[in-house]
Amino acid sequence: MNIKKQFKEGLITNNPVLVQQIGMCATMAITTTLFNGVGMGLSVLIILTCCNVVISAIRKIIPDEIRLAIFVVVIAGFVTIVDLLLQAFVPALSSALGVFIPLIVVNCIIIGRAEAFCQKMPVGASFWDGIFQGIGYTCVLIIMCVVRELLGSGRFGGGLIDIANGFRFTLDGTGGGIQIFPETFGASILSLPFGGFLTLGVLIAVMQYALKKSAKKQELAEKAEKEAEE
Amino acid sequence: MLTNIISISLGAILINNFIFSQFLGCCPFLGCSNKVDTAVGMGLAVVFVMGLASAICWVIDQYILVPLGLAFLQTLAFILVIAALVQFVEMFLKKMVPSLYSALGIYLPLITTNCAVLGVVLLNVQNNYNFIESLVYGITGGVGFLLAIVLFASVRERVEFADYPECFEGFSICLVSAALVALAFMGFSGMKIF
Amino acid sequence: MNKIVKLTIVLFLVCAIVAGVLGVVNAFTKDRIEEQNRIKTEKAYAAVLASDNGYTEVSFDKTAFPTVDSINECNNGAGWVVTTTFSGAQGSITMAVGVDTDYKCTGISIISHSETSGLGAVAASTSQAGMDFRAQFVGQDEAIALTKAGGEINAITGATITSKSVTEATSVAIKAAESLG
Repeated sequence: MNIKKQFKEGLITNNPVLVQQIGMCATMAITTTLFNGVGMGLSVLIILTCCNVVISAIRKIIPDEIRLAIFVVVIAGFVTIVDLLLQAFVPALSSALGVFIPLIVVNCIIIGRAEAFCQKMPVGASFWDGIFQGIGYTCVLIIMCVVRELLGSGRFGGGLIDIANGFRFTLDGTGGGIQIFPETFGASILSLPFGGFLTLGVLIAVMQYALKKSAKKQELAEKAEKEAEE
Repeated sequence: MLTNIISISLGAILINNFIFSQFLGCCPFLGCSNKVDTAVGMGLAVVFVMGLASAICWVIDQYILVPLGLAFLQTLAFILVIAALVQFVEMFLKKMVPSLYSALGIYLPLITTNCAVLGVVLLNVQNNYNFIESLVYGITGGVGFLLAIVLFASVRERVEFADYPECFEGFSICLVSAALVALAFMGFSGMKIF
Repeated sequence: MNKIVKLTIVLFLVCAIVAGVLGVVNAFTKDRIEEQNRIKTEKAYAAVLASDNGYTEVSFDKTAFPTVDSINECNNGAGWVVTTTFSGAQGSITMAVGVDTDYKCTGISIISHSETSGLGAVAASTSQAGMDFRAQFVGQDEAIALTKAGGEINAITGATITSKSVTEATSVAIKAAESLG
């Protein structure tokens, strides 16, 4: 499979959250600060890539009837590994994401890709698929976090960026973020469940609009080409 | 004890509704809620699975995993139990209630990947509930899911006839409607019984 | 029949391998996780009542104080840190209360909660309103109450239930420390 094509697919045309519309639970629940979003996105990227590689590697030797059970076991294994590592080395992220880290096991994206892609594709393609779908997922998380935080409390980079003593990244979640406008002018309802549903709904609508427009443009271009040939 | 159970139940159904407050179970919630009948069927199946999964996983956790120091195997053990349970429910429905089985279609095995089922089991462990509390939380969590999905199905049946911008088609307008229902559920926050 | 046996064995093998790998990772990270938890609780305790050489847990009458999780005596004799879990407006709140040897509160620190952001969550936040709210608790004794009930604690605007729960829990914590005798 062409890597450039996979990159475009993972990020835009086959984006897991905005186009395939799977894996939405965590997307809405934890996108309240940039620290959570980036942390979750990277965790899912690592787990997705590892699972893709392993499942693709063993695809020829596992019996067909129990393949879903084996996928689930492998995914649960990697999720537990990442969970233990986060608890040990980035405890702030572990407590911020709470129960959503073990819930990555049932994140439809990972099982979906395993079922739809890794079963038939070689290890190399599966590896890149994992990376690009993971990047696509992380980008959506980041966009949602930025929108919700900015419009909700006027802040950018909560938990991750600290400007108190010069610009730096805080990997333990204590950064206060950059206050773009005073918190009292923000719509704090965006950090509540209402905001989660609304932001994701609007993002999907924007994506659908953009894809339709580009599809129409392509159609017109092809039509013009055909007419030019005749 | 009774007050504890009532406060857990009301918490799970209204105040901290699994879908509108905790976001657990969104995928089947959005996928299965286009008709009220399918929604009711899905909701009832989830109540059953959640209650049973809570009970079984609590027993496994308390009597096998924790005494042997294998708490890190929780995620693995729980998801296997849930997968097996859903398999049994599927076989049971196929034999006993074939109409519901065909109505639910692909969404029945998808209960395995329902965040709410694994979520409630993990939350039981996190909150240190005893057996009765876990069972109650599991069942009432499922009832909360049922309530949410049935309410939302009726909303969706109306949205189908509404006039919304084309780019909002599909899940997008659903999510916006869900946002408004979530806003309504916020009215329950701060409710304290005892 | 044979097929089912073969499938079961394969599944069991895969589970065993995965469990084995997890066991190795667990052994590798266990100590560090325990250390992180210890640091987290010590930090929460130090926020209410600093102790140079750590804290020792002491036993107390659990049936008389069901909401109190633990009482930890400061090794330098400054008093106790009582941790309690009680119900707030939106679920449980876990809090640490510092009690000095005169049975007066030295401060409160909310360890975990699920209160509404902007309302009950202000009790735990680092904003000025939150810090002002918690500062009111310093120096109070077990007869602490909201201004509505004749006491001195001003409730957080729009978060009366949370404020009341926190105030009552502080009173219980001080009483628990007193019960140690």
